[in-house]
Amino acid sequence: MSASEEIATIYLEGERVPHFRSLSGNEYKRIYTQADWSDELSDAAQYPFTRGIHTDMYRKRLWTRRQQSGYGTPEESNERIKYLLRVGQTGINMDCDTGTKLGLDPDYPLAQGDVGLQGTSLCTYEDMRTLYRDIALDKVSSTLIIQPPFSALIMAWYLLLAKERGIPWENLIGTIMNCAITQLVGPTYQSNMAFFPFNLTLKTGLDVMEYMIPRVPRWNIVNINAYNIRETGVNAIQEAAFAMTLAADYMKALIKRGHDVDSFAPRMAFFCAAHIDLFEEVAKLRAMRRIWARMLKERFRAKHQKSMWFRAAIQTSALPLTAQEPLNNIVRATIQTLAAVLAGTQSIHTTGYDEAHSLPTEESQRLSIRTQQIIAYETKVVNSVDPLGGSYLIESLTDRIEEQIWELMKIIEEKGGFIQCYEDGWIEEQVNEARYMMADEIESGQRPVIGLNMFRDEDEKTDIEIFRYAQDMQARRIRYAQDYKKNRNQEPVKRALDKLYELTKHKPEVNFVEPIMEAVESKATLQEIFDAMRRGADFTIPS
Amino acid sequence: MEFKGKRIVLGKLGLDGHDTGMKIVARWLFEAGYEVLYAGLYNSPQRIVQMAIEEAADAIGISSLEFEHLYYANKLLEELHAKSLGDRIKVIFGGVIPKDDVQKLKQLGVNAVFTPGTRKDILIQGINDLFASTF
Repeated sequence: MSASEEIATIYLEGERVPHFRSLSGNEYKRIYTQADWSDELSDAAQYPFTRGIHTDMYRKRLWTRRQQSGYGTPEESNERIKYLLRVGQTGINMDCDTGTKLGLDPDYPLAQGDVGLQGTSLCTYEDMRTLYRDIALDKVSSTLIIQPPFSALIMAWYLLLAKERGIPWENLIGTIMNCAITQLVGPTYQSNMAFFPFNLTLKTGLDVMEYMIPRVPRWNIVNINAYNIRETGVNAIQEAAFAMTLAADYMKALIKRGHDVDSFAPRMAFFCAAHIDLFEEVAKLRAMRRIWARMLKERFRAKHQKSMWFRAAIQTSALPLTAQEPLNNIVRATIQTLAAVLAGTQSIHTTGYDEAHSLPTEESQRLSIRTQQIIAYETKVVNSVDPLGGSYLIESLTDRIEEQIWELMKIIEEKGGFIQCYEDGWIEEQVNEARYMMADEIESGQRPVIGLNMFRDEDEKTDIEIFRYAQDMQARRIRYAQDYKKNRNQEPVKRALDKLYELTKHKPEVNFVEPIMEAVESKATLQEIFDAMRRGADFTIPS
Repeated sequence: MEFKGKRIVLGKLGLDGHDTGMKIVARWLFEAGYEVLYAGLYNSPQRIVQMAIEEAADAIGISSLEFEHLYYANKLLEELHAKSLGDRIKVIFGGVIPKDDVQKLKQLGVNAVFTPGTRKDILIQGINDLFASTF
């Protein structure tokens, strides 16, 4: 329908939405009454934590403003982090580039074109030192966005940096994402199989968790990445059920290694999406709090309350954002951010309005922080805990979604758990179906997107500032990696790498964190370390 | 004009793993009568061109969401020209590509560029037109 036809239809027939289904396909009722919900709710901080994990929630402490950042060289990213902290960011969310996330140095031929594009390019300990220049590791919490096995190295760098600066490890605060399956654009099969042996990936992820639990007690050992799952196009129920069953798999594995559930569960957290269906997203997060609490208490027999706390970092989903009329995305992201706040989450990244054009500019990132600050300080929505609690609609939706998540979790558990389903390709099938359905719904108009499939302005010419990389950034990084490997004492490097190779080949059951630390101290680079392990496992990577 | 049976290699170059758009486009092309040769992730330009040669493809479609489009368009076209295939094989780019760069890609010799929010009919028509001009 053209814009003029659309307007004609609206005036003739009255403007209305195409249907009353939620994004997950649940029908919203005309009106919700006591007949839909008439239960009692326990207070916040009371099991099963429907209303929140803390008694006072945002009255005592606002959520952390944690914008993901990272691009180009570590020097550039260090400047961006400091800029964000200056404008009011309260936690660091460090993202590294795709080469780093796949264990490749900048000079590896297939990696060269992606150096520094989607995050900071890191390949040496010195890079980490540069990235965190002037930033107090024991004052600001950091989320390190990296998955196993490469999380073992990033964590090693961070711990060694703390040691160099004389900061006791028990004072470090932050999170290593460390989620083995979903970090690389969701649970795409190929991306987790191509650059490292999958079993060794899972195993090294557990090594990291195990290493951190006793030594860095305030550190979160894994952030189950539900966000990247959701961003493939699956619905809220799938997002939650996939994440919960994956978390259960990690817990089973840690218990199998002899750890008590209460020793590690309080250090596990989630990274979830806030999509544009405001009530459904609030209901999803409230339901996830309940499911986590019940799963921990009833299935895993946790005894400590903290083990039962579902803690979530939220990023507003980029899926509803459009390249068309990008300023509309500010409105969308505001509503999504509000959803995260109304749901009582622990930290928020508000996605930039320029998302469909480039990495965020400084201006765009400042606007994201301002969005959160306006919600926090001006709107008064933070004044009461769980402000939507007790609403017939929200409570009935929370119950319904909780039930649907449990149902899907049961299906996955019966198939052997999330990791089994992933290895079998079942998850990939579900994801692909969701992708096609999302595309069909947008094409057919069943999922209205303003400026895209409704009220589209074919002559639209909004100009926004586009983030641009420094011209010679990639060349500089490539040269840096080459020079670094040339100008060092080669003997200790060889010894450390030989040891890693031997361990991988003959003793893969050892915890790899310390051998990786030794390799770092010998001045081995990211790819050298993981190439040694790849050789040990007789594994080749795309070239 | 007959587009049925035209063969398109669809893939990503370098390390970019964002494959949702490419999978949707693969289905759209298939439904429109194209033969899609799915190269998936982590290809080098050499590998994609080699695949296009082996499969006697009429076009190469590259999905790019990490801002690597200019880097790889250069390399891909160099490789095609080195094999004297610049005229025979059409090159299509799709993904997160800023407006200014669409022009740059076309100047390099990319035949068509599609950006986020492109509707199915527009995309298919745009690709059909590439082949129409050769009849």
